[in-house]
Amino acid sequence: MLTIKSLCKSYRADAGLKVLDNLDFAMQKSSSVALLGESGSGKSTLLHLIAGLDRVDSGEIDLGEYRIHADSESRLAEMRRSDVSLVFQQFHLIATLTVADNIRFQAALCRRFDADYEALLVERLGLAAQLHKLPQQLSRGQQQRVAIARALLHKPELVLADEPTGNLDEQSSLEVMALFSELVSLAGSSLLMVTHSKAMAAFMDRRVLLHNGQLSEIE
Amino acid sequence: MNRGFFWILKALLSHYWRHPWQSLFLVLGLVAGVSLWSAVQIINQQAEASYRQAQNLLGAQASYWIRSRQDQGIDEAFYIQLRREGFREVYPLVELEVSTPQAQSISIIATDLVALPEDLFEETQDGEDFSERWLKFIQPPYRSWVPAQLADELGLKEGERLLLRDGRSLPPALIQSREQQGRRVFIDIAAAFSLSGTRSFSYLAVAAIKPAQLARLRAWLPDQLELVENQQQFDLQQLTESLHTHLSAMSLLSFAVGLFIVFNAVRFSLWYRRATLFKLRLMGCDQRQLLLAILLETLLWSLVGSLLGFLCGIVLAQLLLPGLGASLHSLYAASIDTVLQLDAITLLQAWCISLIGLLWALAWPLYRLLRLPALTAADSSDFMHSEALARNRLALASILLALLAWFYFGRIQTTTEGFILLGLILFSAAWMLPSLLAGALRLLGQMLPQRFLLTRWMVSDGWSQLPALRSAMMALLLAFTANIGVGILVDSFRGAFVDWLSVRQSADIYLSNTQLDYERLVSDGLSDEWLVHSSERIGVSTRWGGRPALIRGADTLAPDSLAFPLSKWQGDSAAEALQSWREKPATVLINEQLHFLAGVQIGDQIELESDYGAQKYDVVGIFYDYGNPYFQFYLPRQALAKHWKHYYSRGIALWLNKDNEQAMQQAEASLKALGAQPGDWIMQAQIRRLSVGIFDRTFAITAAMNLLTMIIAAIALFASLLAILQERLPQFAQWRALGLRQYEQLLLVATPLLIFSAIVWLAAIPLGSLLGWVLIDKLNVISFGWSMPLLWQAGPALQLAGVMLLIIVLALLSVSIQWRRQLPRALARLGEAI
Repeated sequence: MLTIKSLCKSYRADAGLKVLDNLDFAMQKSSSVALLGESGSGKSTLLHLIAGLDRVDSGEIDLGEYRIHADSESRLAEMRRSDVSLVFQQFHLIATLTVADNIRFQAALCRRFDADYEALLVERLGLAAQLHKLPQQLSRGQQQRVAIARALLHKPELVLADEPTGNLDEQSSLEVMALFSELVSLAGSSLLMVTHSKAMAAFMDRRVLLHNGQLSEIE
Repeated sequence: MNRGFFWILKALLSHYWRHPWQSLFLVLGLVAGVSLWSAVQIINQQAEASYRQAQNLLGAQASYWIRSRQDQGIDEAFYIQLRREGFREVYPLVELEVSTPQAQSISIIATDLVALPEDLFEETQDGEDFSERWLKFIQPPYRSWVPAQLADELGLKEGERLLLRDGRSLPPALIQSREQQGRRVFIDIAAAFSLSGTRSFSYLAVAAIKPAQLARLRAWLPDQLELVENQQQFDLQQLTESLHTHLSAMSLLSFAVGLFIVFNAVRFSLWYRRATLFKLRLMGCDQRQLLLAILLETLLWSLVGSLLGFLCGIVLAQLLLPGLGASLHSLYAASIDTVLQLDAITLLQAWCISLIGLLWALAWPLYRLLRLPALTAADSSDFMHSEALARNRLALASILLALLAWFYFGRIQTTTEGFILLGLILFSAAWMLPSLLAGALRLLGQMLPQRFLLTRWMVSDGWSQLPALRSAMMALLLAFTANIGVGILVDSFRGAFVDWLSVRQSADIYLSNTQLDYERLVSDGLSDEWLVHSSERIGVSTRWGGRPALIRGADTLAPDSLAFPLSKWQGDSAAEALQSWREKPATVLINEQLHFLAGVQIGDQIELESDYGAQKYDVVGIFYDYGNPYFQFYLPRQALAKHWKHYYSRGIALWLNKDNEQAMQQAEASLKALGAQPGDWIMQAQIRRLSVGIFDRTFAITAAMNLLTMIIAAIALFASLLAILQERLPQFAQWRALGLRQYEQLLLVATPLLIFSAIVWLAAIPLGSLLGWVLIDKLNVISFGWSMPLLWQAGPALQLAGVMLLIIVLALLSVSIQWRRQLPRALARLGEAI
């Protein structure tokens, strides 16, 4: 489903320093992968490149029908809208919309709103009592659950998560992660998650380490 | 619109729902700008409609008028003779000016309805009971046909008689409006004769007439009557054009200041929503959709702003119109209907300018935000960096505008071009301001000793405030500059006008009744020792260089003639020029309007068409003639009487004996003994009060505009401070956590604000003076044809500083109130991740 070939990326500010150097990677449909690595190793950069938020220096990234390294901005926007969801540490909820509106937002954008599935997600994530609140009225754990619900409601092909539980305490992290991976499976989506935590990585089918711009499988 | 787009729009608009203050400031900016602009447009349109209506008034729609050259009126017998000769196109008119006991001036017009031409006659018919009313109208006790609006103003009801100041009363009122009537009371000619006490007409009107018939009429007229082509409509438009252009320009300035608030609000709204925009892009909204959504949002704001602005404009126009209407009546004899006639086109124009204003404000920040990659668009450091870039670009644009203004300065010919020059100067200054403020911060930062750490911090915090305060400071600069500049214009005008009045209207009594036995009055006055000098003011109305003109005959030894206020003269001194005028034949004094609008110079020889052919006169002096829309020539009285046999008397000026304490009472007794009615004469104090009243009324609209512009600028400042507060709340909370006291935090906000405002105030003084100078020495001369000495006073600038401090104190007060509400919440969230 996701195939990366000979991907290179260097930061303009550090010309010559290749963060990603001829990186190859492949991921199957409905699988989950934990992306591990030291700070500054380029994990987030890789995620941004896959999401089409940044441009490659060279190489190819293919996701289904999308040729992410070559597609136009509007095509990449279409991809993010329908087939790729992002879950960040910072939640990125729209502060001025209610929890209910935030959950529905992306599904409404790509016209894949399913009320029954929404009810299921809301129930599983324990958000039923929070629907009419604004995001800032929720705890961080609750905000992350809203972000997960939003990311999954339209059942995307791929969910990209960047330290999704990085803002939560250990107990909350484990709870949220368990729910997250379960719901991703329920949605039939693939999950590529950046994490520092081996405990979080244990929830995934595969674990890969990014080091010196290259990926390697780890046990 | 698909559902996805609806959600994007919902996400963007929800920002305003959750931040009502920003919505309020955006709407206020638009409303403030649009309201003043609409008010002036409504007033201008109202005036144009009234001028058009004036053309339809009885008599005014005539193609020609037959007038007495000596302003003596026309005998009824002569009119009857004309009709018998077959001049059916001619109909008589009587115009009277009366006043109520409350000193409300009423114009009365009367005509012989039987003699009206058929086409005009038909237009006045309306309703089934017309013949009954008609009979009542032409039979004693007659009827006064009063327009509904005037009746309302006078509190007059159907059938009531309007009591006049001299105790007489008008026939019973018939309240009905006719286009031909304007604001005038319409009565039958017989009723007018009984009201005026004479059986003569003011003038005869000639309806559409064939050339052959016109030639026959011209040949048939006796020498003392003249056939004058009706150019009233043309004259009114010509005379008032500059005034309306001035009003439009002032309203555009207010709109520009309002635009700065809009600019501010739009920038802030984008700045606050950069995170939302980033999130929307993360979720797959492409730039095209975001752009479309923001444009739709802009459209909504423009509709709300223009509609509310237009409604406020109506209220404002309603408030300003009576004063301006009275001034136009006093200055140009132009009547303006005070019941507003609204035009959908004005609303459409208001919407267009608000939309254009919003798009202009939005274009660059939106372009930047959408052009950036999604990841960097949310990065505030890039936004801050862009501030320095924007400042430099504005400074560059400012220099270009200044060069353009400099190039343009010597080439302006029309009022509109003059206002374009002012626009260039003002915007050049406004766009240079951010660099000036940044320079001041840099300089202060370098000058403050290292040991004043807190002060250095307070000054350096200005860098954080500058982006948010930039537009507000530009708005404040424009408002201050306009205030000082227009203040200089008005103060100079007032000062010059009052001085001029004291010279030109030095007589103690002005008598307007020309039917009195003038010689007996003077001989009585001299023998009873209440009078020291008298001067009969005579004149001839004519046209010169395409404009209405007056040729006046002055008593060269009268006190006002001896001290003629000349602005330019022939010879070494004004006194020498006046002596030449008194003693040398064929010399003339002209007003500045002739000099500036018709290009007549000292030493030029001009030609005036007299009753004995063209007469040539050497121009020996040019006199100040403030506010006069007409060309004016002053000849010695004898010279006028010699060449214009049909001159008319414009009244008599009487200088009383200052040594005689009873002089005034004796004069009034003599006037009454000779049959003068109260109202036939006016005292110097009254005439000055009246003149200054007209002046103040004319400039009331300017004062209102100045006030509104200041309010707009104050709103911009409030909006910016609240934006700073909102944006930096977590930062303020951190500082509070570090132990900073509230007053220290307030000082932190106040210090840069005070530095910026002081610079704005200092910059506004020379800039406002420049504006005043351009208004007086360029625009006034081009528009109205007269100049005046520039009067600069420190008082208004100091007053402005006081206003500025008041605005700042109020703004800081609102900041501290907001802090009390919001800081505890921000402190509670300090430990949370962003």
